[in-house]
Amino acid sequence: MSRGSVLLRASALLLLVAFVTAPDLFAPVFEPLTVNGAPAIYNQGSLLTLTLAHLATVFGATLASTVVAVLLGIFVTRPMGMEFLPLSRSLVNIGQTFPPIAVLAIAVPLVGFGAKPTLIALFLYGLLPIFENTLTGLTQVSPLTLEAAKGMGMSPSRRLLEVELPLAMPIILAGIRLSVVINLGTATIGSTVAAKGLGEVIIAGLQSNNTAFILQGGAVVALLAILIHDLFMTAERTMARKLGGVAATS
Amino acid sequence: MNPTTFPGRALGEASSRPGLSVDRLGGVIAVLIGIAVFAAPFVTYRANRIVAGEARMLVEAVSPILAGAVLAAALLAAVAAVVVQQPWLRLGAAALGLMVVTPSVGAAAWFLTPPGNTFARISPALGFWLLALALGLLVADSLTRLRLGPWARLAALAVAAAFVALLVLSGAWNGLSILKEYATRADGFWREARQHLFLALGSLLAACLVGLPLGILCHRAPRLRAAILPVLSIVQTIPSIALFGILMVPLGYLAATVPLAAEVGIRGIGGAPALVALFLYSLLPIVGNTVVGLAQVPAAVVEAARGMGLSDRQRLTQIELPLALPVILTGIRIVLVQNLGLATVAALIGGGGFGTFVFQGIGQTAIDLVLLGAIPTVALAFTAAVILDAAIDLANGHD
Amino acid sequence: MIEIERLSKRYGDTVVVDEVSMVIEEGTVAVVVGTSGAGKSTLLRMINRLIEPSSGRVLIDGQDTMAIPEDELRHRIGYVIQGYGLFPHRTVADNIATVPRLLGWDRKRIAARVEELLDLYQLDPAEFAGKYPHELSGGQQQRVGVARALAARPALLLMDEPFGALDPVIRAKAQDDLLAIQRRLGTTIVLVTHDMEEAFHLGDRIAVMDQARLLQYASPAELLMRPAEEFVERLVGTAERPFRLLSLARVQDALEPGTAEGEALSASTNLREALSRLIWSGREVLPVADAGGTVIGRVSVDRILRFGRSSA
Repeated sequence: MSRGSVLLRASALLLLVAFVTAPDLFAPVFEPLTVNGAPAIYNQGSLLTLTLAHLATVFGATLASTVVAVLLGIFVTRPMGMEFLPLSRSLVNIGQTFPPIAVLAIAVPLVGFGAKPTLIALFLYGLLPIFENTLTGLTQVSPLTLEAAKGMGMSPSRRLLEVELPLAMPIILAGIRLSVVINLGTATIGSTVAAKGLGEVIIAGLQSNNTAFILQGGAVVALLAILIHDLFMTAERTMARKLGGVAATS
Repeated sequence: MNPTTFPGRALGEASSRPGLSVDRLGGVIAVLIGIAVFAAPFVTYRANRIVAGEARMLVEAVSPILAGAVLAAALLAAVAAVVVQQPWLRLGAAALGLMVVTPSVGAAAWFLTPPGNTFARISPALGFWLLALALGLLVADSLTRLRLGPWARLAALAVAAAFVALLVLSGAWNGLSILKEYATRADGFWREARQHLFLALGSLLAACLVGLPLGILCHRAPRLRAAILPVLSIVQTIPSIALFGILMVPLGYLAATVPLAAEVGIRGIGGAPALVALFLYSLLPIVGNTVVGLAQVPAAVVEAARGMGLSDRQRLTQIELPLALPVILTGIRIVLVQNLGLATVAALIGGGGFGTFVFQGIGQTAIDLVLLGAIPTVALAFTAAVILDAAIDLANGHD
Repeated sequence: MIEIERLSKRYGDTVVVDEVSMVIEEGTVAVVVGTSGAGKSTLLRMINRLIEPSSGRVLIDGQDTMAIPEDELRHRIGYVIQGYGLFPHRTVADNIATVPRLLGWDRKRIAARVEELLDLYQLDPAEFAGKYPHELSGGQQQRVGVARALAARPALLLMDEPFGALDPVIRAKAQDDLLAIQRRLGTTIVLVTHDMEEAFHLGDRIAVMDQARLLQYASPAELLMRPAEEFVERLVGTAERPFRLLSLARVQDALEPGTAEGEALSASTNLREALSRLIWSGREVLPVADAGGTVIGRVSVDRILRFGRSSA
């Protein structure tokens, strides 16, 4: 990584941390966006708390999706689960046409308002990219490599843990990255069903016609998304480079 | 395939051993059907649209004869799932099951609603959804195993759509709560449907008009590509409601200062910011896939075309674009499915679309209203995905 | 000693290997040749049970392979495939250490073994141990592949087209290296190839397969002089036959007393190469030297031709 790009990332992180911990410092920047003396900085709660709540929701849901999706992906690529492979591919394809908002909306009547429907929606929607990428990753391991592993007498579980999963890891990570980034955005909509998160700031802005609030909420989420996206990409690239320069795709 | 050099051969051998292997996927489907029919409520009865519901099992929900028919069809499908290997027969059993089960949930509504009562609401419950899911899985599995070509898939989609249309238009479902919600706002429904399609398709069209030339330029000029693609991917990370909200500012300003803009309908709130936001989200997949599609045209082919004296323009229109078409179509598929979903959010800024019902429904905790917005959205996205997948296959030369 | 007894593999109605029987002596190289689809890879993979035989059995030193747990059997048998199947996510050292690690060797012993093998294959441990497979040339990958297979000192090495991915110059060198190491370690090798030249160069015995059947299993000379079937004859090449025979014999076999002008040939040079050197140098006779460089006699065009005629 060049020095310039490190600097850029570090300053983006610094800006983010500074803004959520001491937002009032930035009031002059947002003042021009307000009308009739409305507050320039979100004042109905701590930005830091909301940011942390937002991250907790997204990471909690994505963690659960990761565990379930990777286990499912492993299951359908083992001999015992092979029967389920073709169908699960089609289901992932169909599932991804479900808009995340629809999933969220349907979850609300079932489990009520608050964090629960958001967590469920994020969990369900997060499953798909991770499962799909786990499948891709596990099925694209070179048959030669597997043949060699088998020929040297590696047991199936060792082959999975020591060969298949490490080789599929960059692609699985890409799936997790997709899930996290989509979920960061979808979680903002969670605030319409009373989940705690940065969506509150945006919705407050929409309700009181205060563009400064909308921009603040949006900017924090976008910065989070960009930084997390970047972190994952760096990890994927490092891994892929070790595996022979198969560049991770964005 | 050469059996001496294909390592996966042993697997194929194991699964083709006749008679010995029970279809485990079929087993799962059969268990789902069993639970749906015997252990879960078929419909929910509510005295009015917002009170809590009471569960009704299949036998309580429809006439004994119909209950018997549903039971028979469901069990037939379960048996087919476990025992029958032939995909066409499995598909037939599943389709028959759906044809019996879906109208009967409508029949349950008539059966359970007291005569003359217009407040009672009957909606499908867990048992119905599980049954539909299990039968749907069986259909999906059979279709996957049949490996239908693009035309056959489109035909299957048309048959399914025609069947749903028949159920709705014939009035068989009119007793269901979701259609009662529809009946009270039929005009609004079609207005929002038009708005939803306008937002999703309009932004797609605009993104194609801008994105395709931009993609071609990016392909030719690597420096432009390096500058544009990162910006477009940053746009994608901005959460949708925030982008909708942020765009209200410049558009509002535009409407306030340029009278002409206001006259053609540009406002700070409503459809305009939604359309612009969807357009911005669409650019990355279209530009990105155009670049990738053009980049993967084999250099030898381009070289040969150049050698035969095709001009730059001829090479682009006759060689490069046709060869890149499948990848570009994949980008369009991504955009269309994504936009049909995101257009739901437009309702939050007064942009209309099916989201109107979803968010109203959430506000009133009226699940039927939520479903009235969510189901058409999902159906549209699914239809768009099937059609474009078929188009991609056709562009790849499979038919 | 490896005994293959009436080994068959069938997939439904297709017979891929049909009742093959052969014995491979301790410390020798057996090469299985044939066109693609002849069943040679399947035969090889039934030895380490990557493919389960439909019938027949394989005995290693008298022990039925079916009596040994699959993985344990494979720990004892080295296995090299075309393309090598090196683990892309592991360093050269870790790749070589695979089987010793599976066997639970302690770290010191593994490290020592890896170093020993890298030295044996002329790969400087300091430079290569930490490299990843994609950082190696084709020839280096091939050497790591063989080193990995030899790591746990297997008595038997199975090789499936191990030189197939190499260009001709590197391939010849790799073949010579394999022979040298095989002589040194006394490993028994079963090697599959479709390249007749390679079979003659490497094999103590050659097994010719066609359409699932073993047509002939014999020494190279016997294969040339008494081909069992027309197919074998065609495969060994009628026109090339005298030259192949010459390349099986060494200068030692046609040595005459005396000396001659010109650059000395080594006694271990094969007769084909000696003839070629004679023709190219424009001489009738050339001196012959032993490994130490001392002239021990001479070899003549006339004598080589007579040798060739006498064996035909």
